[in-house]
Parts: sequence; structure tokens; C-alpha cells
Amino acid sequence: MTEKVVKERYTIPVGPQHPALKEPIFFKFIVDGEQIIEAIPRIGYVHRGIEKLTEERTYLKDAYLVERVCGICSGVHQATFVNAVESLIDKPTPERADYLRVLVLELERIHSHYLWLGVAAHEIGFDTLFMYTWRDREVVMDLLELITGNRVNYGMNIIGGVRRDINDEIIHKTLKGIDYLEERAKYYLDVAADEKTILARTVGRGILTREQALKLGAVGPTARASNLAMDVRKDDPYLVYDEIPFELVTADTNDVFGRIVVRVKELFESYNIIRWVLENIPSGPTFIRTSPKVPAGEAIAKSEAPRGELFYYVRSTGTLKPYRVKIRTPTLANILAVAEMLKGEYIADIPIVFAGIDPCISCMDRAFFVDVEKDKKWVWSEDELKLYSRKWYKTHEKEVIQRWKR
Amino acid sequence: MEEIILYLLELLIFPGIIFISTLALFFQWFDRKIHARFQNRVGPLVVGPKGLLQPLADFIKLLSKEDITPISADRAGFILAPIITLTLAVISAFFIPVMSYSGILSFSGDVIVVLFFSTILTFMIAFAGYSATNRFSTIGAARTALQFISYEIPYILSVIAVVIISRSLQISEIVASQVSTYGLPYVVILPIAFVLYLVSLLAKLEKIPFDIPEAETEIVGGWSAEYSGKKLAFFKLAIDIKMVVGAGLAVAFFLGGPYGPVIPGIEWLCYTFWFIVKTLVLVFILSNLRTLFARYRIDQMVKIFWDYITPLAFLQLILAEGFVIYLM
Repeated sequence: MTEKVVKERYTIPVGPQHPALKEPIFFKFIVDGEQIIEAIPRIGYVHRGIEKLTEERTYLKDAYLVERVCGICSGVHQATFVNAVESLIDKPTPERADYLRVLVLELERIHSHYLWLGVAAHEIGFDTLFMYTWRDREVVMDLLELITGNRVNYGMNIIGGVRRDINDEIIHKTLKGIDYLEERAKYYLDVAADEKTILARTVGRGILTREQALKLGAVGPTARASNLAMDVRKDDPYLVYDEIPFELVTADTNDVFGRIVVRVKELFESYNIIRWVLENIPSGPTFIRTSPKVPAGEAIAKSEAPRGELFYYVRSTGTLKPYRVKIRTPTLANILAVAEMLKGEYIADIPIVFAGIDPCISCMDRAFFVDVEKDKKWVWSEDELKLYSRKWYKTHEKEVIQRWKR
Repeated sequence: MEEIILYLLELLIFPGIIFISTLALFFQWFDRKIHARFQNRVGPLVVGPKGLLQPLADFIKLLSKEDITPISADRAGFILAPIITLTLAVISAFFIPVMSYSGILSFSGDVIVVLFFSTILTFMIAFAGYSATNRFSTIGAARTALQFISYEIPYILSVIAVVIISRSLQISEIVASQVSTYGLPYVVILPIAFVLYLVSLLAKLEKIPFDIPEAETEIVGGWSAEYSGKKLAFFKLAIDIKMVVGAGLAVAFFLGGPYGPVIPGIEWLCYTFWFIVKTLVLVFILSNLRTLFARYRIDQMVKIFWDYITPLAFLQLILAEGFVIYLM
């Protein structure tokens, strides 16, 4: 298709503010009737400069700061950062702390998947399922509060171990809660597999073949629904995941329905992991004291967040503060895949296909300038940005007014 | 003179504008409450006993909000659409028999007039969407029109089945014939038509699973995206009145109108009571349906209506005609 033909098509802007998108991201859809010909994503609306902020704070404070990267998978960010830092320190963390970290991570996965199931149901107009899943999500939120003291930003991990311990009463309550949640998950699997309107909206929508998923670097449940057996917990085990018996859930339908099934079945694996952890948790201390100064060197840590592979790079120069922290969140890896999925879909399917990757926009935003023609990349300071915006509005004044009038 | 005053009272208060509007707001509360209870929520709770006055509070709140007409909108159409919609909705409500066998307005052929009004009401929604010239409104309007050509035919055909059985084009005679000629409501004789009427009504009222034209998560409220303040309040009230009209007509056509056991002396009160009970049952069914499903896509919706519902409506017509011939 030549560029001229594309320009004559009807374009629909979706975002940065749109009810289907819980966070600001912009999509330009070129449509033919109700069908999408091309989807062009644009990110960068909620860049918060957390990577830069980490360089200004001590490692101890950073552990709490990186938790704020994501509001849903907050625990896994902290655990991965702490893992990276701990691999620079030569003292091994107590085993009990590793078990407790796994416990919190898996509870968080359950909470995230329940939340996603509700959001996906809402996107296809099935609000009843939305209300039910979010009601049940309260159970796991309460468990997390019981164990860590907080509902969202748990603050569980510190460098050298975990902050809080569990006792028999908490174990008993957690097991009880898990039993209830398993019962409910079975029900939701039935609903998703039997309800005609859900099937009509999800089967065959948002196709991403195995080859495309490999090529575009999809991760997490999105990749697993395209029959890619890919999970950091199996491929590169961290904490105690190499000892825990669990199955890797994949689906070969390549569509949104597969993504629902993969996530709901992962819930069952998470329940089993939690039961195993609570049964086999060793006794002992939950943390060891470490020096606030981290030895010089660089380290990476990977973990399987609810949405896919989470990557942390930490570089230390032997001071109290990190020299550089680099975060790569799963949504960034999946954003190219979702642009591919949306091609050829109907406008009505934009929300559910986009929600299918469980996007977390503010986790992944990047600010970066690329001049394609000159092949140049650079980063701007705040003053330069302000200068640029003033200049731009001066030269484009007429255009902006025209756009408002139209 | 007295007659004129009586007639005006009938028109304005009971069973006219005030009664219809109150009933519409009450139905909205009932629908919201039932819907919420099905979803394990509490629903309206704060204003009035059990949140009974919440719809009225919402209406007043909307009236007091800033009323914006976009610069790019087609001004005349944008302003006229809610006014015409509300007016037509109220006028069609006058035809519904509430406290006796006939409504405030009743003449031979009023079935056709009511159906015509209901069609115009849908057109006004598409008109409102196009007038706003917002991209989402335009898509919503196009979807309204597309949805309209799928459900309008079974909707009218199911009413025609009733007309064939009763041999009359007047609502009051249709109601009377259910009591006098057959002695049983038409829902027994025409069960398929009744179901098809309800399904089409669900699409007409744009409720889940057919809330495609205003799908919030897809096209941001669709045709209503640009409406705010008084205009939106009028639209919302008109939609609630459409619900009363839809349920009221279903009661008149299929459930024997307001007839039921009566206490002598206050027949009109008993008739009103039975009318409200019967419509409430229908609203209950409609809320139930919209709790159970996810939203269809527009092409799936059109396919369902053309592949299954329209042929079924024709089948019901043939059966109705056969029934009449068999009786004669």
C-alpha cells in the first residue's frame, strides 16, 4: 500500500485519555469502516523518571522507590531490585526469606490475574464477571495485608532478607483463603469456557502466531498463549523456584481466549506453589545485616512478573547510592506485539485485544529522542524541553488554533 | 369546562406526563437496584429510602451542570435532537393503556403511529450522533443505524402477529380482545412473538448485550459522547420513558393490558396497580438479561438478528395466520 492511499483513510485517535485505556497511551488507528488497517502506538505520556531518581537515593530507599514503578506488580519490582543488589553483596540471604518472597510474589500474581480477568470482562461489557472477580480479589488483598502489613505497596523486602515473618495462624488463614480462591477460579474457568458471548468476543481475536511472538519478543502470558513455553521461573530460576514443582501453562490458540485460559490456569499453579511453600518453609532468621555500602560491580536480575519477564540492571561504584539502575518491564516487550495483533481487527475489539497483554503503561514509559533521518539519539534536559515547547508553539500557533476551531 | 380541566389533568398529571416521568425514574431505580444485586453490589443507597430518589437526584444534578455545544457540532440538530426525542417518547407513552382499556390518546390505527414514533426515536439517536460530528459519535450513530435495520423488522413483525390474531389496529381493541374474544393473554398464543419482542426491545433500549452504539469501553459513549448538562438529562429521561413505553406496549400486546382481578368501586386504581406489576416483571426480566451477557460485536449482532430472529418472526407470522384460519 502506498503512503498516499493510507493518508486518505479515516484515522481514529484512541488515547491518551480513553475509557478503554486505564493509563495514558496513544494509538493512531487507520481504519476502513470498522476494520483496522494499521495501529501506530505512541508512548511517553507518564514518564516519571524513576530510574534517574534511584541514582539520588540510597539502596535502602531505592528498594521502596522501585516498588512505586507499578501499582499492581509492586512486590516483584522490589524483589528483583533487591535480588540484583544482593548478588553484588557476597552474603547469602537466609533461606526462610527466599521462601517468604516466593509466597508474596505468588499471592501478588493471583491478585494481578484476578484484577486482569475483571478488566478483560469489563472491556467486553460483561460487568457482572468484573464485579465478581474484584470481590474475590479482596480475599487475596486481605491475605497480603495479613502477611506484609500493606495491601498494595507491600514493602516486604529489604536488602538482606524480608521485613516480616509469618506464624502458624497466618499459615492457617492463608491456606483457608487459597482454598476459597481455588473454588472460585474453577468457577471462572467454567464461565470463560462456556459463556457464549465471551467466546464470541475472544475466540480468534488478536491473533499472534508463535513465529510473530518470537520475532517481536513477546513475554509472559501473551507469549505462552502463543504456545511459547517461556517462563523465567523455569528458564532461569531465581529464589527457590528451582525446587518448587509446578507446570508451565501454555495454550496454542494464539488469541485472546488463550490468554484468558493461560492466566486462569496459572492461578491453579500459583495455589499449588503457595501450598508447597507453606508446607516446606524452613525455620530460621528472616534477614541478615549487611553494610549499606554495596561493593563495586554490575549485576542483573530477572523474574517472572504477572505480566512477563521483568529485568533489572544495577551498577554500583562502591558507594551508598547506585550509579545506574535500568528497568525493563514486560509491557514494553509486548507493545510491539499488540500493535501487530490489532491489525485486521474490528474497532470493537480494540479494548479487549489491547487489554489481552495486561498493559501497564506507566511502568514502561520511556523518554528518548530519535532522529530517523540523521540516525541520531539523544536525551533532553528539562530546560531544553521547555525551550523546545515554547519555540514549537510560537511557530505552530496558527495550526493549533485551527485545530481547535475545526 | 370541567371536561377540559379533567382532560388537562389527565394529560399533565395522571396518567400523563408527571406519572410517566415518575414511573420512568422508578423503573430506572428498580433496574439499577436489581442489576446491582445480581452483581453482588448494593446499588443506589443514599438519596431517599433505599436510594429510591437517586434517579431524580441524578436528573436534577444533570440539569444544573454546564451545557456545552461543541463549536464543530451542527448546532440546530444537536439542540433539537434531545427535545424531539423526549417529546416523541412522552407522546408515545400517551398511547399506553394504564388505568383503563385505552390510553389518553386512542384511535383506529394507533398501533402504526406508535411503531412509527419508536422508529423516529431511533432515527433521532443516529441524528444526534451525526450532529455532534465527534468521531466516536459518528461511529456510534453508524452503529445505531446498522443495529436499527436488524432489530426493527422482528420488532414490528412480532407486533403484526398480535394484530393478525386480534384483527385490529387499535391498542384498546387489542387489549379488549385478549379479555373478551380469547379470554387469555396473547403471550400464551404467541410465545415466540413475545420473546422476539423482548429481545428486540433489549436492542432498541441499547442494553447489554446490545449496547453496541454506546459501548463505553470501545467508543466512549458513542452517540452521546458530546452531550452534557440539560440535553443529556433530557436524553436520559427519554431513554427511561422509552423503557416504560416498550414494557407498557409489551403488557398491552401480550400480557392482557392492565386487566386483572379488581375491587369494585376503585377499578382504575386496581388497573394501574396491575399495569405497574406487569411492567415491573418485564423490567425484571430485562435487567436479568443484561446481567447475564457480554457485549456482542456489531457484525455478530446483525448476524444473530438476520440469521435467527427475523426468520423466527416470519415463522410466528405464519403460525398466527394459521391459528386464525383454523379458528374460523
